[in-house]
Amino acid sequence: MGKGRPFLEVFTCALNEDHRFPILELLVLLCALCTVFLAGLAAVYGFTTVEAFTHNLLSSSTWPLIILVGISILKNIAYGLGNDVEQGIIQTLFSYPLKKGYILTAKLLSALVIPLLLFLGISIFGLFLFFPDIILANPCTVFLTYAAQLSPVLLAAGLLLLLALRLKRGVLALIAGLVLCFMLFVIFDSVANSIAYGTGSDWSLKIYAVITPNLALQEYYLGTQGFSSGIWVPSFSEVLLCLLAGYLLVAVVFIVGYVYFKRGLRI
Amino acid sequence: MSLILVDDIAKSYGKVVAVDGLSLRVEEGSIMGLIGPNDVGKTTTIKIIVGLLKPDRGFVRVFNEEPWDNPALKSKIGIIHERARFPSHHKVLDYLQRVCRIFGKPESRAREVLALTKLEYAYDRTIKTLSAVMLQKFAIAHAWINQPVLIIADEPTSNLDPAARNDLLDLILKLHQDENVTFLISSDIVPELDRVCDTVAIINQGKIWASGGLTELSERLGARTTRISADNPEALGELIRKLEYVSRVEVDSRGVSVGVIGEEDGKLYEDVPKLAKKAKARIVGIQSGTASLEELFRLAVKSGQGG
Repeated sequence: MGKGRPFLEVFTCALNEDHRFPILELLVLLCALCTVFLAGLAAVYGFTTVEAFTHNLLSSSTWPLIILVGISILKNIAYGLGNDVEQGIIQTLFSYPLKKGYILTAKLLSALVIPLLLFLGISIFGLFLFFPDIILANPCTVFLTYAAQLSPVLLAAGLLLLLALRLKRGVLALIAGLVLCFMLFVIFDSVANSIAYGTGSDWSLKIYAVITPNLALQEYYLGTQGFSSGIWVPSFSEVLLCLLAGYLLVAVVFIVGYVYFKRGLRI
Repeated sequence: MSLILVDDIAKSYGKVVAVDGLSLRVEEGSIMGLIGPNDVGKTTTIKIIVGLLKPDRGFVRVFNEEPWDNPALKSKIGIIHERARFPSHHKVLDYLQRVCRIFGKPESRAREVLALTKLEYAYDRTIKTLSAVMLQKFAIAHAWINQPVLIIADEPTSNLDPAARNDLLDLILKLHQDENVTFLISSDIVPELDRVCDTVAIINQGKIWASGGLTELSERLGARTTRISADNPEALGELIRKLEYVSRVEVDSRGVSVGVIGEEDGKLYEDVPKLAKKAKARIVGIQSGTASLEELFRLAVKSGQGG
């Protein structure tokens, strides 16, 4: 017996549990509405270059979607996986002829990849419908913006995975996940900006740009008109470096999660 | 042939030692009971055997294979976890049909195992609505889906009422006799295991304290049960209870059953007539036999407490 069938069954089982009616349907509706509404608003503002306009259009129209998708991932990983470990459902899954790594992959595909694909599909399709010329003319900017937007989501997902596996309690992991996301994207952001404004130095922004590479991309396109008021105007290679470092961090967190799941998880 | 071979395994959780130097062997075609008080390492041992935990040291083989993260092995064994849980929003039949597909079995097998565990009436119920008893039956059906040669069960009767426990034990005997399924069953409800197990391993303080067939163990440990048929058994029982070397006294309307450990069996034969005279009880007969599993269990607990 091959491992394809058991993997697909565990994956579809996770899909059934994670995306029960009407959660997924509601997510699709909200993503579609947000894209249409915010893309219209973002298009009002003018920018010096078409790349800057494209980046702003994408960033402005996707941030609420990112939050929605983030909530879905938070629910699926922190609460869902945490509960599976807490209640012993993972033990049941371990009794199937699949390696532990495949079981985690099936769970993550359902919890993480499906909402992300949904987000990308709706967002790209919506923007392409309204602004086909801009989207088709700037594939590099479109790719970089989406990549930069998704990096912090993936990082948060990886950290939530570690939290869920370590705490082994759904509700506790959910609360800890909320606190972590708030710290990562609100507190750290404020601290990095305050340090930059206070000292006039750009190192805090550079560090924070590894966590949220879209900051580097934004400052690159806006130049001296950026949110840091010219404290940090990164070069294109710096933007790529931040993006690369961001994804490297994501990879490290997920590798630690997989190793912990396979070897360190006490169930 | 040994289906399970465990040699000198150890497992600690931080400073807490769960299993230390445990060795075990389960032969093909046997029903082995892994018995012991709570928190002595039964569940940890089972988890190591089914590959959920990796021992800190030692050697484990199931079907001559290393169980840790070994998917191929899962097709050969059925596992009933203690307080087993399943994805709760699925329907009973749907989920078992999914498990059939996972193990490459026809979906009709799901109905068969549900019938076997008397859960046919719950086909359309979602798993989260099942009672504790039904959930335990469902866990048994789930473990039997892939028609394993070996079933490893951790406290399988823990959530069951007496009638359901009886049904489960009947089912175990049926599978053992009809399908030659080998069982390793851990439990602290000893009288039930007495009914089905042909070999036992008594675990205490993370080690196997004694193992073997029931008769063999009784003889080796010198544990015997003596049945004294007498009138006025209550008064006689009260006096026997005061004897130091007696481990258990059970009184019924026809006499007294006495558990004796060690070499004191002969002494009991000397003491009983004197006590009967004192209790004004007339002895009809005395007969000694193999100790019950419960007797051996008490002995293990006593030894663990330094008694």
